[in-house]
Amino acid sequence: MRTRSKHGLAVTVMVLVSICGYAQCPDRPASGTVVADAPSIVSQNGTLSTKLTMAQSVDVFGYTHYCYKYAAGNQIVEAPTLRLNPGDTLGLDIVNQNTQQDAGMMKMDMAIAGTPVCGDTGMATVSSTNVHFHGMNVPTTCHQDNVINTLIQPGSPGFQYRIQVPANEPPGLYWYHPHVHGFTEFQVNGGAAGALVVEGMEKYRPEVAGLTERVFVIRQQFLVPWVPGPYQLTINYQVAPLLGTGPIIQMKPGEKQFWRVANATLQDFLQLQFVVNGKGQPMQLIAMDGYPLSQTRLQSTISIPVAGRAEFIVQAPPAGATASFVTGAVDTGPTGNPDFAQTLGAIQLTDNAVSSWHEPSAAAPADASRLKFANLSEQLAITQRKLYFSEEFGGTNGPIQFYITVDGQKQKVFDMNEPPAIVTKVGAVEDWTIENRALETHAFHIHQIHFKLLEVDGKPVTNQDLLDTVEIPYWEGNGHPYHSVKVRMDFRDPTTAGMFVFHCHILLHEDLGMMHKILVQP
Amino acid sequence: MFITRFLRLALIAVVYMAATAVIAQTRYIVTNDDIGFPLPNGVSFFSVGANGALTFQEQVNTHSWGINGGYFGANRVVTASDGAQPCVFISQAVSGNIAGVAVNTLSLGGVASGSTTDTGQSNGIGLVVQGGYLYASFTDSNTIGMFSIQGGCSLTFINDTAVIGTNGGGINAMATHGSMMIVTYTDGSMESFSIANGTPVSNGDKQVSTATVKSNDATYPNEIQITADGHYAVFGDTSTSIILEVSDISSGKLSPTKVFGTANGISSSNILLSPDGTVLYVVDTQGDAVSAFAFNKSTGRLSYGCSSGPIRGQSESWSYLAHAALVSHKGNGGGVYVAEFGGTSGIALIHLNVANGTCTLQEDAASPFLDPNSTGLLSIAVATSQ
Repeated sequence: MRTRSKHGLAVTVMVLVSICGYAQCPDRPASGTVVADAPSIVSQNGTLSTKLTMAQSVDVFGYTHYCYKYAAGNQIVEAPTLRLNPGDTLGLDIVNQNTQQDAGMMKMDMAIAGTPVCGDTGMATVSSTNVHFHGMNVPTTCHQDNVINTLIQPGSPGFQYRIQVPANEPPGLYWYHPHVHGFTEFQVNGGAAGALVVEGMEKYRPEVAGLTERVFVIRQQFLVPWVPGPYQLTINYQVAPLLGTGPIIQMKPGEKQFWRVANATLQDFLQLQFVVNGKGQPMQLIAMDGYPLSQTRLQSTISIPVAGRAEFIVQAPPAGATASFVTGAVDTGPTGNPDFAQTLGAIQLTDNAVSSWHEPSAAAPADASRLKFANLSEQLAITQRKLYFSEEFGGTNGPIQFYITVDGQKQKVFDMNEPPAIVTKVGAVEDWTIENRALETHAFHIHQIHFKLLEVDGKPVTNQDLLDTVEIPYWEGNGHPYHSVKVRMDFRDPTTAGMFVFHCHILLHEDLGMMHKILVQP
Repeated sequence: MFITRFLRLALIAVVYMAATAVIAQTRYIVTNDDIGFPLPNGVSFFSVGANGALTFQEQVNTHSWGINGGYFGANRVVTASDGAQPCVFISQAVSGNIAGVAVNTLSLGGVASGSTTDTGQSNGIGLVVQGGYLYASFTDSNTIGMFSIQGGCSLTFINDTAVIGTNGGGINAMATHGSMMIVTYTDGSMESFSIANGTPVSNGDKQVSTATVKSNDATYPNEIQITADGHYAVFGDTSTSIILEVSDISSGKLSPTKVFGTANGISSSNILLSPDGTVLYVVDTQGDAVSAFAFNKSTGRLSYGCSSGPIRGQSESWSYLAHAALVSHKGNGGGVYVAEFGGTSGIALIHLNVANGTCTLQEDAASPFLDPNSTGLLSIAVATSQ
């Protein structure tokens, strides 16, 4: 019966595809099957050169997929994990095969007066694309991590990214995704996001040496294909339903594994737990946002804001136990999206568990003090700034204004042609206090650099992690103080020079303008 | 003697009948439940108890679909007489129509639509009544539909008028007084119209509000209240704090607004002026409280008075506060009922007390009163049966 219905659906797909003329994205795994890691593309001799094709198609259920296609031999796979070493060069060719939409669709003028065009010209549309290398501490110049000026239009010959990974780039999990202002949510909702690993974690955190590594990319898509919200989570493209049979994660009984988890959702705040026989187990936290911790921490819950990453060791229970990988419910405020508690994957204990990647065996330890930002705590912040998130609702369906504002400036939504909201200089170290004056939780993200978390709600934090994305809880209303974080920004590296952006990483908010530019002068 | 006795009995009978009639009157808080497809929309009637407590009586099915939300300033329920009986009119944006419900019988009257191009499916259809006409703001097509109120709580469509803000903003809220209609637009502009002959005709005073020009965000006027004497129009602004604006309209046109406000809130899209014009209730639409401002009817000045504590149930049961209805039709109103928009919509009851020149706003112990029929309540009104 199942086979027959699948056959019928496949016919429907073929009809749909032939009607729409879309470049087909690879099939995605059915729910209730074993979760597989994305295939890896590994750098060789200091270089990773590859080509990804951004494509678009509609599946049998009506979901619009956006995918990074990669030709692995004669097989087409989706969103491979890019594996690089510090000091490597990433040569990534992006070809845009998205379908050109009709003339009546929404457009946005990406051209900024007086600034050079990077890539193609023309209006940005839902079919335009580019790539942001999220978390990477690389320059904002054209052909590197430049989202302000870079546009790759459908049908163009393509665009070449040439990323020079710094020699002192922290090892860990990063990710790549489209970042065309106004349209990011569409493509990420469609699945356009992949993992990028900077190797060498075992040199800083020997606990992971020799372990089986899993890379889980948690994505989010509309629950009803054509209705923007409510949403459902996926793990490596497999739907994790709130009810019913979900993804299966295979582990060998008693095995320790090194899990790298990217929160590539549109807006979900994850509260990860590894539950055995109904009880949350300690997980050994190794790194956050692609930066190894100076000391590992045992945590029964690991919070990952939208766009954040966590890398940790889990140990499978003995045979016969029941285990699952879950996320807890998060209250994101009166106007926030409900983040439900749910299972991301049931742990299946089997001696036949297949692993596609292992961490290298123990290596000579590397000097963590040589990593980027390593001595940030010792630096004196010359400049203090205050920023705040706020929202303005004219109705339940809008118009909604999403603001991130530098205190003292006018609250306004992002405009491609606006001057930078913040101007600083190479060499500066600054402390930013970021408040949330809105009734929903936001996720602050800045491109190009990591920052050190110093304080939460005015109190020093015990774990001053280096992050690129941080959660700021919602305001509880009159009589309550605003929640805030204080972070230390590091612009000492000359490669930070240039114009880039900071924004809320809830993608709808970003697309609607909760973003501004910062200019770091040479 | 007989005549005298007869007259006495007759008088008693008249008094008895009158008293009975008074007793028979029922005061309701009515809702536009604004239910979207596939369930049918309706008007819920809550009787008002002596202590202000609401008791659900009945929902009248209007066999159409609302949109579970929309603009805060577009009031989706109004009350008016059809000449013979009190009626409640509600807009239903997905169906694109306006339904009339007879208050005395709690039964559906007529259902009327505007022109084929009149739509408000994205953000709703606002309603006001004046001089035997009902005006509907279709927020997608940016048209004001004009309907004649007919017997049986029915409507007859007459015409529609296209309107637009200074910078292309769409129609948001409306208010009327005598022969004047005032409209706010989503771009921060406002405009008045003459409705002396029914159809709105611009008074040529379209202007961007003072707060929109000077504010530190995208503040724009939303709901409108007009004083009983027609001297002032008061605007509750959508903002990131409480911003209120007052325009002197005694000339028959809008004058540049004066701005008042307080940081004790996060928005002020919905407002309600008390019957005696001395108190302006300000609903912190995105926030969790209601504030009272003293209004000086002579000068048009507003002075902050007090705010309630957090209204119960924010976040857990409701996301926004919206339209308000008065507890009392006299004096300073005695407080307000406020629509709570959420998965479990309800109506909050907040009492106002003024003593020695200071005021307090206190949520009733029994508040909120749930509206189980609505998952997106924005609009409420007061109706009284005869």
